[in-house]
Amino acid sequence: MWVLLRDAITYSCMLILLSTGLTLTYITTKVPNFAHGEIAVIGLFVALTTLKLFGMNPYYCLPLAFLLSALASLALYKFIIKPLMNREASIDHLMIATLGYDMLIFAVLNIYADVLTRVYKIKARGFMPFKAYDFEFLGQPGVFISSILSVTLFVATLHILLTKTRFGVAMRATIENPDLASTFGVNTELVYTVSWILSGGLAGISGALLPFYFRGSPCLGFILIVPVFTASIVGGFYSIYGAMLGGAIAGLSEYLITYFVASWVGPWFLSYRIVIPLIMLALTLLFAPEGLTGIEWAEAMRVVMTKLSRIPIAKGVIR
Amino acid sequence: MLPALIVFVLDTLTLIAIYLIVSISLNIEYGYTGIADFGKAGAVAIGAYSIGAIPGRLLMYLLAIKGDYIMDNTKVVATINKFLQKNIAIAAAMLLLSLIVAGGLGTVFGFLASYPVARLKGEHLAIFMLAMAEAIRYVAYCYAPLVGGPYGVTVPDPFRFLAGSYRIIGISIVIIIISLGTFSYIERLTKSPLGRTLKAIRDCDIAAEVLGKDVAGYRMKIMVLSSATAAVAGALYAFYITYVSGIAYDRVDWTFWPWTIVVLGGMANNWGVALGTVTFIVMRRLIIFYKRGLEPILPFDVVWLEYILLGLTLILILMFKPEGLLPEKPIKTVELNKYKKEKSKSS
Repeated sequence: MWVLLRDAITYSCMLILLSTGLTLTYITTKVPNFAHGEIAVIGLFVALTTLKLFGMNPYYCLPLAFLLSALASLALYKFIIKPLMNREASIDHLMIATLGYDMLIFAVLNIYADVLTRVYKIKARGFMPFKAYDFEFLGQPGVFISSILSVTLFVATLHILLTKTRFGVAMRATIENPDLASTFGVNTELVYTVSWILSGGLAGISGALLPFYFRGSPCLGFILIVPVFTASIVGGFYSIYGAMLGGAIAGLSEYLITYFVASWVGPWFLSYRIVIPLIMLALTLLFAPEGLTGIEWAEAMRVVMTKLSRIPIAKGVIR
Repeated sequence: MLPALIVFVLDTLTLIAIYLIVSISLNIEYGYTGIADFGKAGAVAIGAYSIGAIPGRLLMYLLAIKGDYIMDNTKVVATINKFLQKNIAIAAAMLLLSLIVAGGLGTVFGFLASYPVARLKGEHLAIFMLAMAEAIRYVAYCYAPLVGGPYGVTVPDPFRFLAGSYRIIGISIVIIIISLGTFSYIERLTKSPLGRTLKAIRDCDIAAEVLGKDVAGYRMKIMVLSSATAAVAGALYAFYITYVSGIAYDRVDWTFWPWTIVVLGGMANNWGVALGTVTFIVMRRLIIFYKRGLEPILPFDVVWLEYILLGLTLILILMFKPEGLLPEKPIKTVELNKYKKEKSKSS
């Protein structure tokens, strides 16, 4: 039970890192980045290279993973999103452009994986998780500690950045109203750049921690994108704190619901983990597309109460 | 035996025909109605999986062949193919029936997906469809009894009566005829008043709703139609390569390439999409044709270079020619005087 909970928490932490980055770029530039999953996989390959090619502990690669993924994310913004926005491309065209970029990274990673396999004889597709190379702390695997640590560190930093610094205020102003913010002298371009760098870097860190749990492969990003988008949308696509909440909810429920359903209907259900985030995504989009942080709870309660009070039996209970 | 060049040309033509169906179904969905369907692969996969799962099992039951369809797939399908070789009528009936079933399942998929789709917009819709397509592929990958998971199944071949490489002539002709039929149907549909309604919904759904158009209803219908056609394309592709597996039908091949074709050809212009399909497939085939020369030099699979090249092409088109090769044109309608004359004549 503890192992299950530990796995669920680790997974949620990775999702939080990914979904917060996704939401950050969405609320600043208003483009959902479909290449986010693949940008994270760059971090995964940095970790693989550090371990297998240089024989170092994969934890040393975290700064490099941050840097490379941030660069990939920045390139997407500077060379694709921004020129397209300047040409007033529609949101659909922007989305398909990020999907195109996703494919470019996918192809480059596959070329790299081929080179690793053929030149250096390293298994780069479907390699086993690095559990053996992980350290232990108080009897817990290091990835559990480090993912919680990185999320805590990141949440604290982001919170301080957004609420206590001048740049954070500028950032929030840009999110609220970019035109007004730039009229007041805020460098909105800088805000966008920083948010894309942060988003990519966090994806990279999360990607570098991924191979401790998952079998790594260049196409992991394809599968990853579903829970990440679910996390962002369940929490509310317009709020950074919502993304954190959503990451925690989506990650925990994906693990725990799958486990409980599997213990009830049989272990075959374990293969269908992806169905849980899909159902959560569909329900959220259908009933509350603004997400958990976007719902006005008082208003929602009032609606529920008025609806209930129309039912004769419930009437007496409510009044 | 046919010369290799003719086989290559026929193969290219067939691929063009299959991709034409998928792209044209995306065009009526995205180009005309503005539904940004990022889950086209899902509908195509449904059609293909239905071919992998249903006709073989049905014939196995009817012919009373013993064994497990997935485990003894090669043996079972070989027996079925021997039977189909002799009974051309049954083979044709199987082809027709499977296409209808695939189209029907595509309709069901489109209907289920259309409930949220009719109510969602822009990025939410795109995310939902993308997740749906990924989930379908993932389930087929894990659930081996459907189409054998990653190992796949062989599909009974209705064109077995044509010997050797003459098979490809038969199946090519059938696929091209179905493709042209779909094209002319969609072309006529978009030229009709419905086409103009769809464009109105795409350009401003509120205005269309004010004018008394049932926006959600139209979006649902188009979604159903588009998914059904895409599923038929998936079914045809499965029959063409006589093999279905749980890992194929990913979002690169069946969502991304159709999108590239529609953007390249020009959205809301069916002839443009046809031109885009021909350009795109010929380009890809030429890359495949010439890549053998590169293969020994490079330490990686050349297919990834193809991905990079086509991905870059798409991004450059989006930047420098977003209206595509043939831009959208106003729909030509019958002149009012001519219409009045015809009406008075008929009455």
